[in-house]
Amino acid sequence: MQSNRLGWILLAPTLVILFFFGVVPFLYVLWLSFHQWNPFALDPTIVYNGADNFRALVFDSGFLSSLGVTIAFVFFAVLSELIIGYLLAQAFLKEFPGKAFFRTIHTLPLIMAPIIVGSIWKLMTTPSIGIIPSLLDSWFGFDLNIGTSAVAAFTVTVVMDVWHWTPLVTLTLIAALVSLPADPFEQAQIDGANKRQIFWHITLPMIAPALLATVFIRLMDALRTVDEVLMLTGGGPGSATRYLGVHIFKEVFPKTNYGYGSAVSIIVLYLTIVSCWLLYVALIAPRNKKA
Amino acid sequence: MNFAYRLSVSAIALTMMTGASFAQDIQIQNSEWWQNAGQKFDGVTLRGVTESTPASNYVADVLAPKFEELTGIDVQIETTSWDQMYDKAIKDMEAKTGIYDMVYIEQDIIYAYLSRNFLVNLTKALDENAELKAPEYSEENFTSFVENFRGEGGGLYGVPMEAFIKVYLYRTDLFNDPDVQAAFKEKTGKDLKPATTHADYAEIAEFFTEYGKANDMDLWGTTAQAHTGHPASWYEYFESVAPTYGVYNWGIDASNNYAATVENGGTMNSPEAKEALKWWLSMRDIAPPESVQSTWTEVATTFAAGRAAQGLVYGENAAWIATDEEKSRVVGKVGVALPPLEPGVMEEAESGEGYIGYYDGGAFGLPVTSKNQDAALLFMQFMALPEVQEDWAAAGSRITLTSTYDTAKVMEVDKELGGYYSMLRDDGKLFKGAPEYPFHRQVIEATSPTFYEILTGSIGPDEGLDMMAEKAEAELKNLGYRK
Repeated sequence: MQSNRLGWILLAPTLVILFFFGVVPFLYVLWLSFHQWNPFALDPTIVYNGADNFRALVFDSGFLSSLGVTIAFVFFAVLSELIIGYLLAQAFLKEFPGKAFFRTIHTLPLIMAPIIVGSIWKLMTTPSIGIIPSLLDSWFGFDLNIGTSAVAAFTVTVVMDVWHWTPLVTLTLIAALVSLPADPFEQAQIDGANKRQIFWHITLPMIAPALLATVFIRLMDALRTVDEVLMLTGGGPGSATRYLGVHIFKEVFPKTNYGYGSAVSIIVLYLTIVSCWLLYVALIAPRNKKA
Repeated sequence: MNFAYRLSVSAIALTMMTGASFAQDIQIQNSEWWQNAGQKFDGVTLRGVTESTPASNYVADVLAPKFEELTGIDVQIETTSWDQMYDKAIKDMEAKTGIYDMVYIEQDIIYAYLSRNFLVNLTKALDENAELKAPEYSEENFTSFVENFRGEGGGLYGVPMEAFIKVYLYRTDLFNDPDVQAAFKEKTGKDLKPATTHADYAEIAEFFTEYGKANDMDLWGTTAQAHTGHPASWYEYFESVAPTYGVYNWGIDASNNYAATVENGGTMNSPEAKEALKWWLSMRDIAPPESVQSTWTEVATTFAAGRAAQGLVYGENAAWIATDEEKSRVVGKVGVALPPLEPGVMEEAESGEGYIGYYDGGAFGLPVTSKNQDAALLFMQFMALPEVQEDWAAAGSRITLTSTYDTAKVMEVDKELGGYYSMLRDDGKLFKGAPEYPFHRQVIEATSPTFYEILTGSIGPDEGLDMMAEKAEAELKNLGYRK
């Protein structure tokens, strides 16, 4: 009883902060999503409009287009980060000259604010004068123009996200890999398993919880990407990179369409939870059942 | 293209993003009054938020420290991007958090702020607090631009701190080069001089783009503020190009139930609007490649880097482009002219029925939610003192007091700028700020996705403007302005 009370006392500051900065804003957004409110409308008051905002979403071509490009962005960005992150984690487990230096350099993007990352990539990819289009033009005669080509803009946003967040995946997977026991690997080698078999049947299942946690974190982050993309392309060209986060930002802040923007936010939260749940069911639940 | 050159252009862009610093020494005539006035605000810190522009950077870097030195009142000015500035200011005033004591009010947002009662009536506040009124401060000192910031009863709701027109800049070294003149004459049969019509402007632009290509130069015929995902492109078309074709106030007729479509009495999708858009798109196609990612800042950078022979450039950047050798490659090579026009537009502007381009600027307003209103009133008057204007005007291409035109530095820069300040004084009346609507960003955000699709070629200009006009009306109906 005594230790239970002490536990609650120790937890209390965190719970209070979480309540005011997490639960209250969420409830406020949920409440707003059932209202119409634009402070710059002729009538700036908040008016209850039932499920109208959610109904409008279904027919909003802008939202549906954003949803489509966001799913593509999340798929390519998170998958690339997992593959590259795993390969880098394996590389950093081996000894090679300058390993500490490369590991530090590799981690640096993580400490940069997203808005700075967006600014740097904007400078690097400005058509004609940015260093990347300039080198691609000089070396391969390739014209990279993120202001006109939807594919180029989409690809650059994916590459930028991979550059920024792969170190997180690498660090998580390094931690997971070094904590694996040596016995199963030695036994597999004695039994004649090749590298591919060891990876699929031993390494992957054993790091699956860490991998899944990383995927969840990256999935949630990628679904709400705003700053970097807004800085780099503004959501353009056209609506090619108007991802859901950017769509919500433009709906809520410049357009001050608070009710509708809140409804979109709630839907994105719902999609995030469903995506994570599906991943959990597909990857972890079957293993638990077997066990 | 020379790689080192490209890097240097990027470096100019980087310099622009980090802002500028100034170190002029300002002498305040009645410093004793300011010292006394500041005494009762000991320990007060004023916080302001503004867009990172040359004029605002001067406030943060020069005026704020000088004010603190005089009065002991600490002033923290946050200079940030245009979007962030609005985001922070509106959230603060909407939520009544009282973080900011001064907010930048661009001319086009004042009507929205007034409709929400966000701002303090400065005229009234100073009348009611006579001990706070600086002896040298007078609303009579301001240029006519101050009228943009008056509200109900004629009260002033913002102290103008920058004012400029979007001008037609051109490269005097190119336009006056005998070889270039001869080549132009040979190609077109005309003398090379700043254009007065769109056809002439296009001819000059095409000539210089071809000239740059033929001579392996990084030179194009025109600038274009044609970002495919930022409202800067929307602004360039509706506020700088469409008016030169006789399409005013974004093509929305406020006196006719806020009609935007031709069908209902608006002009957003009129034949003139469509012609203007096609002309502008054709200019965009022969502008430097970075134009599709350019907002107002990058357009200035492009011109300063010597990559365009002519262009429409915000006047706030004109001074540094023409005079700052650390940032500009075209110092002493810049001329100014009025924008090219369609026949009849100048007559409409002179009669007050229309305008020929964009008159922009902003003021510092005092939010009603500020917790330090009295101290903020002091700083805002300080910004309007005649003795702080001269260096500020030279550094930020901005003039808000009539007396500033006659100061030595302004007259000197005016010569280097080919008469920009003279144009601002003499022809400023031909330009106009944004329309007096309280729903700026709402209409822009409702229509800009379609505008960006026009820019990428996914939708044709005619069809696109039709769609935009319909969307504008739908949004205005949704907001309750259109019945």
